[in-house]
This record gives sequence, structure tokens and C-alpha cells, in this order.
Amino acid sequence: MRGLIAVILLDLKRLWVDRVRLATSLIQPLLYLFVLGSGLGASSVMGGRGYLHYIFPGVLGLSLLFSSVFAAMLIVFDRQIGFLKAVLVAPVPRVSIALGKVLSGALQALVPATVLLLLVPVLGLGLSPLRFVELIASMWLAALTFSALGVATAARFRSTTVFPIIGNAVLLPLFFLSGALYPLDRAPPWLRALAHADPVAYAVDLMRGAVIGRYAYPPVLSICVLTAFVVVLTWLATRVFAAGDNL
Amino acid sequence: MPGPADPQDPRGDSGGPGEIAIEARSLHKRYGAVHALRGIDLVVRRGEMFALLGPNGAGKTTLFSILATLLRPSEGEARVLGHDTVRERARVRERIGIVFQEPALEGKLSVRDNLYLMGLFYRLSSRAAKARSEELLHTLGLEEVAEREAQKLSGGQKRRVELARALVASPDLLFLDEATLGLDVDARRQFWGEARRYSQRGGTVFLTTHYMDEAEPADRIALIDHGRILALDTPQALKNRIGGGVLLLATADDARAAAWLHERGFEPEVGARGVLLVVPEPAAVLPEVLAQLPVRTHRAEIHEPSLEDVFLKLTGRALEDGQAAPRVRGASGPGAAQ
Repeated sequence: MRGLIAVILLDLKRLWVDRVRLATSLIQPLLYLFVLGSGLGASSVMGGRGYLHYIFPGVLGLSLLFSSVFAAMLIVFDRQIGFLKAVLVAPVPRVSIALGKVLSGALQALVPATVLLLLVPVLGLGLSPLRFVELIASMWLAALTFSALGVATAARFRSTTVFPIIGNAVLLPLFFLSGALYPLDRAPPWLRALAHADPVAYAVDLMRGAVIGRYAYPPVLSICVLTAFVVVLTWLATRVFAAGDNL
Repeated sequence: MPGPADPQDPRGDSGGPGEIAIEARSLHKRYGAVHALRGIDLVVRRGEMFALLGPNGAGKTTLFSILATLLRPSEGEARVLGHDTVRERARVRERIGIVFQEPALEGKLSVRDNLYLMGLFYRLSSRAAKARSEELLHTLGLEEVAEREAQKLSGGQKRRVELARALVASPDLLFLDEATLGLDVDARRQFWGEARRYSQRGGTVFLTTHYMDEAEPADRIALIDHGRILALDTPQALKNRIGGGVLLLATADDARAAAWLHERGFEPEVGARGVLLVVPEPAAVLPEVLAQLPVRTHRAEIHEPSLEDVFLKLTGRALEDGQAAPRVRGASGPGAAQ
């Protein structure tokens, strides 16, 4: 338990002292929403405000996804400079390191996403307290899933030049497939089939359900799928950290 | 455990398992086709300062990494503080501190925070981690830089923080891998002073280096090359092993000089500094050699054997590959003649 806390505390302290990263993570989501929302909304058949309501959970998803994967990239950076060695050689259970990294990545991603919540009244989303709580809970689950995805991948990489390339190659399709920016109702069947395997799709749908009250997948299914992703990916990351020849 | 011959402990050679800090048995390590370690056996006793000395690429870091639980051996096994370095890795890690070759500090955090967080990683309570950090800042003379970002320290200060980091959990055994690489003379002296202080308080130190003067203060030294231990003994015994004094000749053509000496029944070695000759009484042969050598001699020198000479004699190669190390102390009294 102490190890777990140490892993998280270390990452949060680092975010706190890194004012540029902190400020960027606060400003970036607002850019997403206004630039993307206004630009796309103006030309959309769904009309300005309605579309903004539609993509708001999508933007939350985008922010959570990219921030948590960026947080995970610091693992690769730590490995490259040698700092990760000092952490991995400490007598901390490997599962505490993996879980700590997943949790700290989720927390780091939730900072900008929480800033975005300030827009809930501005956009006139009119959420009841219950729906608001539901949205927050969905955001947590989404953040944990994306962070686990990032940590399980980053744990395997040694080069800070390769990881972002792979990251982008995987992240963007995951995001576009998720229905975050446009509904997939009218998409070809193969695309919709692919979306069923995309954790981002379940996460965005869960958040969108909380905001607009309509779900594409049953919420229970989404919760189960996302939880399974978190467990399996954290286990995979634990195995990588436990490998002896990996320091 | 009663009974002198404990069947559970086949290693009972030097006074029971409690006295042994490190024991390696027929360790091999292969990286694909590269055979980096070719059967390493060694025993390091508790409280000993033990140096692994060899040139770059000799297998020092590979052996170090296996003993420090960072790497699995391909064959053989190692026990550190009584625990297997593979199967009981976690038990070993609780009780060792490591200073790596590369920096392992979080550059953006303060020195104090680095130490405090490492304390938490070693399962100290928050209060204990704070107290231990303050203690180390004090004993290692880092109080003035405690609030500075680790990345803004000088090379020597960084290394001292690394040492403090390794000592945070009060380990029984300290592993130092080329710990002073790239430091200036003062910083190196200061670092080794601290390491010796730890050793004098009863801690065991296992260090690797390719500077002979860093190995010199160790209780025992293992000379390693091409993945094998060539010799393992106290510094003095290693030098005695060479059997005589050293005559060093810097000539206009070292290869030709060596060939000529060879014809005369000597066993010369050509090193970076010239032709090396080990003879029982160098002073007795020097005049004759100088008079008859067919090449011009720039410099002749007689000295007590150094570890460098031992290494050269054992391998026919120079230890420091021509690149002079910043010496902490001067070479031991060279009696030079022109």
C-alpha cells in the first residue's frame, strides 16, 4: 500500500512542479471544445448547440485519452533516463507499481477533464445532480481505462521517439472509431463492428448517456467491458514490470 | 540450527552463511551470440569493500546487474545476503542500495523530495522517510542544496545525492557501478570518502570501476576481463603476485624494443605507456638494457608493481585503454631515470 501511494505521490508531485505541463493541461481542453465545437457545429446538420451537446462527452473522451497516454509516456521517458530503474529496484510489489501508474495517469488526465466540467452550465446542459454524479463516475472509469491502455503499452517501450509514433498510430483510429465526434449509426457495418472492440467507444457512450440520456450500448455492458480492460491491461503492465531482464 | 555440517548449507566455507554477503557460483550470461560472463565464482564477506576491476566491456556491469537483481543469469546462481537473486529478488532488494552508472534522480524535484519519495518506496513511514532524508542531507553535506532541483546540481553533488538515495533504506550492502564516471578529482575523492565511511561503519560495498586507483582502497579486488575473473585477492597480494619490480621503457619503437627484449629471454608487454618488463631486480638489469637496446629510449622508469601492471601482465592489455584517469593519488613513487 505504501508503495502504491509512493508511486502516485511521486507522479503528482512531478505534475505540480511542472507548471508548463499543468498549465497546458488546463488550457488544452478549452481549445478542443471551442475550436472543434464551433468549427464543426457551424457546418453540422445537427445545429450548433445540439451538436455541442453531442460532442461534449466526445471532447471529454479526447482530453482523457490524450492526457492519460501522455502521462504514460513519462514512463518511457523515465526508463530512458534511468530513473525508472531506481523505482523498479525498490522492494515495491510489481502490481503496486502498475496499479499506481494506472491510477496516477488517470488522476493526471482527470485534471483537464475536470476543468471542462466548468462548461456544463455554460453549455446549458442542465444536468440533474444524479446525472452529474453519473458523468463524474463515467469519467473516472474512462480515465482508468485509457490510463491502463497507456501504461500497458508504455511499459514495453524503451525509446521516447518510437512510443509517440506508435501511440498516435493507435490513438487516432481508436478515437475516430469511438463515435466521439459523429454518430456511427450511418457508418458501414464493418466500421460499426470494429467500434465494438474499441474501449473508447464504450467510455464515450457511457459519458454521453449521462449527458444526453441516450446510450448506444447498455450501460452495464459498458461498465463491464471497461472494467475488464482495466483489469487485463493492469495485469499485463504488472507482468512487464515483473520481468527480470527488463531493468 | 545445530550441527557443524548443515546439509541445507553446502557453502559453509568461510564461517557460516551469516558471514557471506555475496556468493556467485558459475555464473554465465549470454546475449544472443555474445558470451558476456563465462563462469564467475566469487564470495564477498560481510563488511568487506570489494572491487571489480576491469576494462570497458569486460563484463563488469553484467555481473553487477546480476548480483544487484537487475538481470537474470543464463546459468549458475547468486545469493546476496543469503537470498537467491532471482527467486528471492524482493528479499534482496529490501536490503541493498544501488548507485547506477546512469543518473537515477527526478531532475525536476528537489533533492529533499527525491530522498523523501525514495524513502516511501522503501516502505518507510512518511515520518521516518522525512527523518532519514534530513539525516542523510546532513551527513552527506547536502543541506545547502536540499531545496534545489536535482537537475541543477553539479556532477559531484548529483552523485552524492545518488549515494544518499541508495542509503535511504539503511541497506546492509551497497552496490556502486562505475559510480564516479566523469567526475573531477575532488568530487571523486569526496564520493569515495563517503563510501568508505559507510564501509567503516560495517556496511558491505561492492563496486565496479576501470580506474585502478578507485579499486586500490578495497579490501579485495577481482580483476575481470572477457567475462572471466583473472585474479582475486587483496591489492597487495595481487601486486606481490607479479614477483618483482617493474621496469617501464618508453622508446622510439616499442614493438621493436619488445621483440629485442624477447630475444634476450625477457617477457615484455607493450602497454599504452611503453614496454613493461617485470624482473626480480629491475635496477640490476637497467644499465645493460639501456646500453644495448637497439632503439632510442626516451624514458626509463622503475617502480613497485601497480594494479595496472598486474592487469597488463595478466592480459597483455592496458586497463585504461590509453585514456588517463583523473588520479586521486599520485602513482606510487616512481624512481625515474633518464
